[in-house]
Amino acid sequence: MTLPELLDSRRVVLCVGSGGVGKTTTAAALAVAAARRGRHTVVLTVDPARRLRDALAIGELDGCPRRVPLQGGGRLDAMLLDVKRTFDELVAGLASTPEQARRVLDNRLYQNLSGTLAGSAEYMAVESVLRLSETGGYDLLVVDTPPARHAVDFLDAPRRLLALLDSRAFSILKDPTSILPGAGSRIAQLVLSGVLRGLERFTGIGLVREIGDFVRAIEDLTGALRARVAQVHALLASEATALVLVTAPEARLVGETEELARALAAVHLRTHGVVVNRVLPRALSGGAAPSSPPAGVSRPLAARLARAFADVRQLAARQDATLEPLLRTAGAPVLAEVPLLATPPGSLADLDTLVGHLLPEADTSAAPARGGRV
Amino acid sequence: MPARLPLTSQRLVVVTGKGGVGKSSVAAALARVAVSANRRVLAVEVGRGRLGTLLGAAPGGLEPRSVSPGLAMATVEPEDALADFVHGVLRLRMLSRRLLQSTSFQVLAAAAPGLPEFLVLQKLQAWLDARRLGRRVYDLIVVDAPASGHSLPLLAAPSTLGALAHLGPVGDMLRTVGATLADPATTLVCLVSTPEELAVRETIELHRELARRLGLPVGPPIMNAVPPRRFVRGDEEQIARLEASGERHPWVTAARLLLERRREAAAQVQALRRALGAAPVRLPLLYAGPEAEGGIDALARTLAYAALAA
Repeated sequence: MTLPELLDSRRVVLCVGSGGVGKTTTAAALAVAAARRGRHTVVLTVDPARRLRDALAIGELDGCPRRVPLQGGGRLDAMLLDVKRTFDELVAGLASTPEQARRVLDNRLYQNLSGTLAGSAEYMAVESVLRLSETGGYDLLVVDTPPARHAVDFLDAPRRLLALLDSRAFSILKDPTSILPGAGSRIAQLVLSGVLRGLERFTGIGLVREIGDFVRAIEDLTGALRARVAQVHALLASEATALVLVTAPEARLVGETEELARALAAVHLRTHGVVVNRVLPRALSGGAAPSSPPAGVSRPLAARLARAFADVRQLAARQDATLEPLLRTAGAPVLAEVPLLATPPGSLADLDTLVGHLLPEADTSAAPARGGRV
Repeated sequence: MPARLPLTSQRLVVVTGKGGVGKSSVAAALARVAVSANRRVLAVEVGRGRLGTLLGAAPGGLEPRSVSPGLAMATVEPEDALADFVHGVLRLRMLSRRLLQSTSFQVLAAAAPGLPEFLVLQKLQAWLDARRLGRRVYDLIVVDAPASGHSLPLLAAPSTLGALAHLGPVGDMLRTVGATLADPATTLVCLVSTPEELAVRETIELHRELARRLGLPVGPPIMNAVPPRRFVRGDEEQIARLEASGERHPWVTAARLLLERRREAAAQVQALRRALGAAPVRLPLLYAGPEAEGGIDALARTLAYAALAA
């Protein structure tokens, strides 16, 4: 399936990949392309560079989509993901009473847990996607996934959150003695609670007790949260969602991409294609090196030009050596190659240039939107 | 005036920055500089990465392994440090294994603010204090720390965890490690960036957190992968004339690419200098890559010059 076909037929396009590969910019450019193709599109972005943020006209975090001032047609909104706010809203929305919500939100471990617990930050991003897909009235959501240590955290988050909500894990926190084999036995309970008390005394942290309090507070929400997580996973795995791997020809990314591919397979998600950023112009990497300088160039300048060319050829050789294993591990076809740009795209005009690289032969004016609204 | 990077007196150098800026290359080069100044160096990577490959070390774990005369290396995975710690506390291997394997303990460890990070720091402190036959085992520990997002919790662990643990042996360890990190005679935090907008912005944010909020001794920033100067005055006008006359020679295309990259790099070096009020130490872009023969040594030579200037 080509990139134009993906943009025309899907409801969600997720850009995944390691940090620093240009995911945010690619997501923005894909969203511009989709909007130009007539789809009412929203791009959810995590942490755009200042120039891009200004171009998309998204100011501060306010948790709602803003219209992007696209010249020449196309309806595009942009929204910054606010993890903390989404989590707070989720807790408030799922709690049966305001008091119940406040018990969770006021817990002093909540802030820390909401940041570190089992990829909740990534889960919350997916949660925002689900919410927009239900109520936003958009044809297409383009999502820039959060920078995670492992790019998979984002996609694996629902499953891990479910694992966490597993009642056994929760019951252990409420009653730590249940990890022992003869859980019911008094001796086992005495031994373990003694050990845990010792651990608390040694560390000086009342963590076991505090976490127990937290778990009891949030436990009432478990059922509702579980249903929500199942919905999120269904959306990610459905035919309506496409995963686009964004990468760049850098050595460090080979291992990370391999890890990502493995993790995707483990959660039964499939990459539809790869966008390779920062590719050196083919004219510089392929073909034979020219033997004579351009006409009318002084000899010293010719020497410097030749040196510059040799430098770039060396970069290109490294890039080619990286690209081959990278694409093999990605296990999906290349959808587009974007050439190395000296400066990162900072304006809507720059994004349109990128669109030209991503969808080279596509006619951006005529294609009618296909597929229903989200 | 070259930027000053004092390296001959500190005992702990922590190298951090945005993912992909070349932290491991810089850490490897700093370790080489210190070894060539006759210091006994332990290079530590937090989480398995590229440092071992760059230094030519065999794969390994928590136990320091010898790499070359004066240089050893260790790999710390937070999970290993946690296991090490729990075994030490519980002493009952069967019980501690059960505890470590349970989901809930992983939850507990993840929820304890800064606990895994603290365990890494505590390991570093143990290496700093290690003595054999009355003399220090390592003069300098160079840490290839995780990317910014994970380095911050690591370096903030003494204060975040300190708020929870005042008493007991952990409270004491926290105070010791916190004092080590904050002491400019002992510690130097090196922020690595590349001349790109996002990396520079993250470096500025990290500097604010580490230097201003946590009060850690942060050295001049290290700007890695700056494209070296390849042209002289007047060249660019000539290249522009060639382009204007429709010249499509690959040499001209390559020259334009390098000129543009160098212009962007210069702007980003300026942006970093303005924001931090300190000139960055500039390391050249290695066209053949840091892992190529002589790559780390080339970086080490530039850093040695900065170090000697202190």
